[in-house]
Amino acid sequence: MNTLAPLLWQRARRDRWTLTYWILGTGLLALFAATAVRSEYGDDAARAGILRLAVAHPSILLLRGLPQGAGLDAFVFFQIFTYLALLAALMSTLLAVRHSRAEEETGRAELIASTRAARDSAAVATLVHGVAANVALGVAVAGGFALGGLALRGSIVTGLAAAATGIVFLAIGLFVAQFVRTSRGANGVSAALVGLAFVLRGVGDALGTPTVDGLHMTSSWLSWLSPIGWGQHVAAFSGDTLLPLVPSLLLATAAGAGALLLGARRDVGSSLLKARASRPQARRSLSTGFALAWRLQWPSIVGWAVGAAAFGLFAGTLSGLIEQATAANPTVADTLRGLVSSDGSVDQALISAMFSIVGVLAAACAVQSVIRLRQEETSGLAEMVLATPVTRVRWLLDYVAVGALAIVIVISAAWIVATAGVLASGDDTAHIGDATVAAAAQLPAALTYLGVLALVFAALPTATVALGWAVLAVGAVLGIFGGIIGAPRWVRDVSPFSHIAALSGNSVAWNGGLWMVVIAAAAAGAAVAFMRRRDLRV
Amino acid sequence: MGAATPPLMEYSVSPDPRRAVAKLPLSHGRKRRSVGIVGLVVEATGLRKRFGQVHALDGLDLSVSAGEVHGFLGTNGAGKSTTIRILLGLARASGGTVRVFGADPWDDAVSLHRRIAYVPGDVSLWPNLSGGEAIDLLSRLRRGAPHDVAEYRRRRARLLDVFQLDPARKGRAYSKGNRQKVALVTAFATPADLYVLDEPTSGLDPLMEAVFAAEIYRVRDEGATVLLSSHILSEVEQLCDRVTIIRAGTTAETGTLSELRHLTRTEIAFSSDGMDASRLAQIAGAHDLEVRDGRVRLTTDSTDLAPTLESLAALRVQALTVAPASLEELFLRNYGERTVAAPPQLATRS
Ligand SMILES: Nc1ncnc2c1ncn2[C@@H]1O[C@H](COP(=O)(O)OP(=O)(O)O)[C@@H](O)[C@H]1O
Ligand SMILES: [Mg+2]
Repeated sequence: MNTLAPLLWQRARRDRWTLTYWILGTGLLALFAATAVRSEYGDDAARAGILRLAVAHPSILLLRGLPQGAGLDAFVFFQIFTYLALLAALMSTLLAVRHSRAEEETGRAELIASTRAARDSAAVATLVHGVAANVALGVAVAGGFALGGLALRGSIVTGLAAAATGIVFLAIGLFVAQFVRTSRGANGVSAALVGLAFVLRGVGDALGTPTVDGLHMTSSWLSWLSPIGWGQHVAAFSGDTLLPLVPSLLLATAAGAGALLLGARRDVGSSLLKARASRPQARRSLSTGFALAWRLQWPSIVGWAVGAAAFGLFAGTLSGLIEQATAANPTVADTLRGLVSSDGSVDQALISAMFSIVGVLAAACAVQSVIRLRQEETSGLAEMVLATPVTRVRWLLDYVAVGALAIVIVISAAWIVATAGVLASGDDTAHIGDATVAAAAQLPAALTYLGVLALVFAALPTATVALGWAVLAVGAVLGIFGGIIGAPRWVRDVSPFSHIAALSGNSVAWNGGLWMVVIAAAAAGAAVAFMRRRDLRV
Repeated sequence: MGAATPPLMEYSVSPDPRRAVAKLPLSHGRKRRSVGIVGLVVEATGLRKRFGQVHALDGLDLSVSAGEVHGFLGTNGAGKSTTIRILLGLARASGGTVRVFGADPWDDAVSLHRRIAYVPGDVSLWPNLSGGEAIDLLSRLRRGAPHDVAEYRRRRARLLDVFQLDPARKGRAYSKGNRQKVALVTAFATPADLYVLDEPTSGLDPLMEAVFAAEIYRVRDEGATVLLSSHILSEVEQLCDRVTIIRAGTTAETGTLSELRHLTRTEIAFSSDGMDASRLAQIAGAHDLEVRDGRVRLTTDSTDLAPTLESLAALRVQALTVAPASLEELFLRNYGERTVAAPPQLATRS
């Protein structure tokens, strides 16, 4: 009997819910983006205004796409495609690592490799499974756009482009997994490559050349280094060409074949990058539960902080440009403000928007710290620590403290870079104040996630990982894309990121922030109470 | 009882653990600590633990006296690890009473943990910490602030040496046995009043088992109490003063080894070439005799081996094997049931 079929079945069964959420979520984002653009930027003039602003001040393109005319359909593609591609890419790298390196790390791969399955069967099954998942995601995206009333042909082209981007990163994730010893490391490296593709496309588009009408743009060569850039270049609803997906196919084939070849030539469970010899003795500082939590978490904190610093850089350098543009064209200012749903000046609004992304990154980093707690518990490592004179409550609080510290570090990294950016670009130094308020405003929202997830961990430990990411994803989508996807006010209000202190002129509304701090503290307190009572659960 | 207790059933040639003790440097400072607690260190009665519908523990009694090495014997899934987790306050009993050093392990977990060293049944390590770092971290967590660093270093170096453990590898690079050694070095590097060891030798080779035995004798001589769980009868016989046998979550038997000797049997087998019924009838003390697959098999009382062996010698038997009965056979004989992979009892809905 063919061994591929049972391996595929096992993958499909294991991922049935995870992939359903990813695929439906991405499809819904496409649908909401289409319907929201129709209702909020219904007239050509509004869309043309936004596009002209973006073309004149291309740093905005970093967070959108490549303008391809003010047509409604093409405008939707401009607004949302990068994010659809980003979701496909992350779904794919996580899937690849989950079924390759993570399996080797736990030793389960050895069980499979000892059967009649050929040496590369598991990797082939992962590739087939991942391609199928991306095809499904492509169908969901195309369906979302088509249901949202966009042209069918362009919808299908968009679906194909998103799927192609996902497939490239599926192969890249599998390739990375050959080199890195741990699944955590492989996920980190793969996510960093996705981030690099995102930034390369953004910078490449920003450095592009606009057409005379100011509604179209040709990207610079940098965008052509990024798989997300290739997807973007299908120019759905305007050019509708699949040619840019050829490099995607080539890279996916090369990386996939490379992964299979490398995998067949190494021992099961080994990695091509060998672990460095490490310290035979612990540093003096590694002597408390907190020190352990910090030691386990700091590499990922650094990763999130670097990402946040990039957004800080945008915030610090964008604002000056925007100011000049909006002085000339007030209607643009209105639309832009609508985009970020704030009442202050446009540059304040942009700084707020950038920092709300920083807030999501900080919250994600904190969520990871609580998820680490759960992983320590299931792996049996917590048992060894808790068999020493460390109380359960203390153990919980150590990780919560590292999570809180992570929030401060991630937000500070963005704030420092934003401030340096303002100073370096010789902008109005008032923007430093704006950046400071915007940065401080993120703290309560991120702390709320930390506190609530700590409570989930204490009260419903088995739900920690799934709920952690799900709540963060929903909160981030509502908080950041709430405007774009046209979610009603009360839905957006569910997300802590919608309650961050709003900048308006010189006054700041801190009420929401205060409430969130109260909620975070109450949740943490309840977590402590639950933790006192519960035993370890694997 | 001292180190002079001979292992009851050590027929195979194995390194003498007590010789390993002799090679070790003298323990520094504390020769034989006075036993602080006279009486029971661990006292559990009617202990119950449910996991949903599964009764992992169903009225378990366990008492461990100060200064003894107590064997906790049971087949896979009998409930040994669950009991140990309750004793450490990592899990909470669903019923019954439990005291460790006279305190409730759930309420007073932290103060008890200062006196307890623990080796989990299934040791995992942090992937990005070396074995040495894990040992240091856990030792520091255990002994708290004021401590004798030089003494700890000496003990740690000696243990790394006798267990032949390389502390510079990262967690993922250790085999199961080496991960277990990391936990053992951690446990023995800091003195404790009670050592709780959950199947600590399951990944060790025979040489390392001997080193382990030497450490057990050492801490016992220093006055510590040891609770050692195992599913290997001969190991418990070799190391332990008293034994509790757990079966499907309840205590099946408890007592000193001599009290339990009625339970233990020795299995003897030899070639049936040239044997007939009349010759076989000459074997003294034979039970359950049968001839199968060209071998004669019989069992004897472990306490009364000498006459049997003498008669076997007179018969000039060939290809003789003498082995202690396995735990499974012991259960089969004494309780008349197979406990291997026995399904856990399901709670009856009342
Ligand atoms: N967390 C748990 N959830 C459900 N059942 C468990 C759990 N832990 C142990 N059990 C069950 O309790 C019984 C005793 O397990 P355990 O104490 O680990 O046995 P031992 O250590 O003697 O091999 C087994 O039937 C096991 O399946
Ligand atoms: Mg066990």
